[in-house]
Amino acid sequence: MKIAILSLGGMGAISLSKIIAQIAINSKLSVKSTEIHGMAKKGGLVEIHMKIDEVDLSPFISKNEADFIILFDAMYKDYALYFGNNIIGLTENDKNYVISKFKDIKFANSFLLGRFIGAQSIFTKNDALKILENFKNKDENIMALEDGFNDI
Amino acid sequence: MKFFLSGNEAVAFGLLETKVRFISGYPGTPSSEIIPTAIKLKKQYNLKGYFEWSVNEKTATEEAVAASFANLNSAVVFKQVGLNVAMDPFMNAAITGTVGSLVIISADDPGPHSSQTEQDSRFLAFFAKIPVFDPSTPQEAYEMAKCAVNFSKENELPVMLRTTTRISHSRKDIEINTDGFKNDLDIDFKKNQDRFAATPHFRYLLHKNLNQKIDKISQNNTPKMFFNGKTLIITSGVSFAYLYDLVIRYKLENKITLAKFDMPYPVNQDNLQKTVDTYSDTIVIEESYPLIEMQIKNRTSVKGRLDKTVPNEGELTIDTIKNILIETKILNTEKSDIVKPPFKKPSLCPGCGHRSAFFAIKNVFKDDAIYTGDIGCYTLGINLNAVDTVHCMGASVSFAFGFDKAYSLANKKKPIVATIGDSTFFHSGITPLIDAVHNKASFLLVILDNSTVAMTGNQKTPSDSEDSFDNPANSIRIEDIVKALKIKFFKTEDAYNLESSEKILKMAKKFIETNNEPAVIILKHPCVYTKEGLSKNIHFNNVFVDEKLCKGCRICIEKFECPALVFDDTKNVVKIDAATCINCGQCVKSCPFNAIRIEK
Ligand code: SF4
Ligand code: SF4
Repeated sequence: MKIAILSLGGMGAISLSKIIAQIAINSKLSVKSTEIHGMAKKGGLVEIHMKIDEVDLSPFISKNEADFIILFDAMYKDYALYFGNNIIGLTENDKNYVISKFKDIKFANSFLLGRFIGAQSIFTKNDALKILENFKNKDENIMALEDGFNDI
Repeated sequence: MKFFLSGNEAVAFGLLETKVRFISGYPGTPSSEIIPTAIKLKKQYNLKGYFEWSVNEKTATEEAVAASFANLNSAVVFKQVGLNVAMDPFMNAAITGTVGSLVIISADDPGPHSSQTEQDSRFLAFFAKIPVFDPSTPQEAYEMAKCAVNFSKENELPVMLRTTTRISHSRKDIEINTDGFKNDLDIDFKKNQDRFAATPHFRYLLHKNLNQKIDKISQNNTPKMFFNGKTLIITSGVSFAYLYDLVIRYKLENKITLAKFDMPYPVNQDNLQKTVDTYSDTIVIEESYPLIEMQIKNRTSVKGRLDKTVPNEGELTIDTIKNILIETKILNTEKSDIVKPPFKKPSLCPGCGHRSAFFAIKNVFKDDAIYTGDIGCYTLGINLNAVDTVHCMGASVSFAFGFDKAYSLANKKKPIVATIGDSTFFHSGITPLIDAVHNKASFLLVILDNSTVAMTGNQKTPSDSEDSFDNPANSIRIEDIVKALKIKFFKTEDAYNLESSEKILKMAKKFIETNNEPAVIILKHPCVYTKEGLSKNIHFNNVFVDEKLCKGCRICIEKFECPALVFDDTKNVVKIDAATCINCGQCVKSCPFNAIRIEK
C-alpha cells in the first residue's frame, strides 16, 4: 500500500505517519516512509510518502502511484492529484469541527486516521485503537478517530 | 525488536551499539536528530557516555578527536556546511590518525532543502584522505554506522559517514538488538609527541603513513554487483535505492548491471577500470558530486556528471534518474514531468518574537540601513525587508564590519544593522564582535535572543542552566560577554515591548551615527514554538479584525506578515486564521486604522 500525506506544519501529520507505521509493524508488515518539510515550522508544507508491504527500497511515490492521499489542507489539492485520485481530505468544516470540539488542530491527525482506516481494508479500527490507547490524550484521540471513522 | 527509525535515529543506535560513548556536534538540518536519540538511549539504557551539543562544529570535532586519542570511541555530528567550520581539526585528524574510533557524520542536503550549499561531503573525505561510507537506506545507515566505527578502530583513521536529507529523514522498520549496549571502557591516552604534537618537519612521515593506509583500504574496496545487463551503472548512496527500484519496476534486469559502492572513496582504481572496460557503456550516477566518476582513470566510455548526462546541480530524485535512463535509451517510457509542490513563502511562526523585533527595527531604520542577517529562523526577516545578506554562521557581524569599513573609506556614513540569534552568536558571532570593538567599526548589532536553537528543533544553548540530561550546567549569559567587551552602548529589552524597543533602537541609531563603535541591543523573547514558550506567552482571549474598520489595504500583511493574517477576497478585508493564531496581539500596532482589536 502506498500512501502520500500532505499537511501543514503543526497539524500532527508526522505523528499520524508514525501511528500508521506502528499499526503496520504490529501486523508484521514492512513499512518505510520519508518526510520533507520546508523552513516554515508552522504552516509550511509537510510531505510524507509511505509504503507498507512493498518490496521497494525507497519510500518515494511517483505520479499516480498512491493508493491513498491523506490531505490536511485543500490548498494542496492539485498537488495531491499528481499522486493519485483517492484523496482522504480534511475540509474547512472538518477543521472548524476539530478546533471547536478539541480546542487544538493537532487532533486532526486522529480524525483523519479514522477516515483512512474506514477507507482501506488491510487494518481494522481495533488495530488503530490499540496504538491510541497508549497516548497521553487518549480520550480525545480516540474520540477524534471515531468521528473520522464514522464520517460525521 | 523492530523499531520504526529515521536514518538519523538508526545512526545513533548503530553508534551506541558499537560502543561510541562520546558524541559531540552542532545542530543543523538534516543532521539534528542523531544527538537527541543518543541522549534518549543513554537515559533509557543507563549508559555511561557524553552526548551533548557543542558551541560550534570546530570545537565539537576537536573535543571528539581528543576523546578518540584517549581511546574512547567517538563521533561528531553536523550538517555539510558544519564540516566547513570543522575543516581544520578534521584535516589534521586524518594525518595524526585516531586511537579510539572516530566517526564524522556529515549530513548533505542536495536540493538544497534547508542549506546555503549543495556541497558533497564525500569530496572532503577525499580531500582529507579518509574513507567514507554512503548509505542508501535507513537500514544501511544503521549498518554502516556500525561498520564505520569498527573500520575506524581497525585502521586507526577517522571515517566519514555521509548521509543525505532523504536518508536522514526517511524511516524504516529496523530490527535492533538492544542487548548490545555495553558499559566497559578502557580510557588511556598514550603520549606520543611524534604523532600528536609532530612538528612540520616530521609531518610528511605521518602523511606517508596515511597514504599507505588509504592504499591498503582501497585494495579491498570493490563494488557489489546487481543484475546482469549490457550497460554498467556505477552508483552509491540514495541513488542506488532509486536505481534498484527502477530496475525492478520497469523490468530492466537484462539491460542494466548495477555496481554499488558502500564506500565511494577510496576505491580500487585498477579493479574498477577492469570492470568498466568489460562494458561498452558505463554511466555513473551518484548523489551530489562525481566522486566515484573521477576515480575512474580512463573515462572515454563513461557517462556521468562530467559529460553532463547527469545534471550537475539540484537533487537526484527518482524521477531525475528515471529521465536519465530514458535519455540514454535504456528505458523506453514517457518522461516524468517533475512536479514540485506549490511554493509557499516560509514565514516566522505566528507570534514569533523575532517578527516583533524586525518590525521595530524597520520602524526606526526604514529602508535606509544595510541589514546584515544570519543563519536561523530570523533569516526570514527577509520577509519584512529587514535582512539584505545571509552568508554563513556569524557573518551578520563580520559583514556589518566590512560594510562599515568600505563605506567609511569613501567618507560615507551608512547605517548598518546586523541581526543574529543567541545560538549563532555563541557559534561564531563573538569573534567578529571582538574585531569590531578593537578596530572601531560602527554598526548596530541586535541579538535576537529566544534562548534556544529554534530552527533545528529547539536544542539547548550555552545560556541554558541545564544540560540535555537536565543536570545543572553553567549558564553563560550573553549580557556578560557583551559587558566584558566594554561595549559603550548596550541595552536589553523584551521584543514584545514594541514601544520601548523602538525607543532604545532610536538611541542606538544616534549612537552609531556619532561614534565609531558598535552598539549592541539584545531583544529577548522565548520561542513560541516550544511548549513552554507558548504556555508562558501572553495570550488574549481573542484577537480579531473589526471588519467595519478594516480598509482592505493589506498594510498589516505587508508590514507585519504574520501568517495568521489572511486576506478574505470575498469580503475584501483581512481576517485572522483561528487555526494558527496564538492570540499574542503583537499585530495590533501594524494597523494604522486600529482595525485589529484585542478582547482581554
Ligand atoms: S521556531 Fe521559534 S524562533 Fe523560529 S520562527 Fe517559530 S517562534 Fe520564531
Ligand atoms: S495575534 Fe496577530 S501577531 Fe499574534 S499570532 Fe495572531 S495574527 Fe499573529
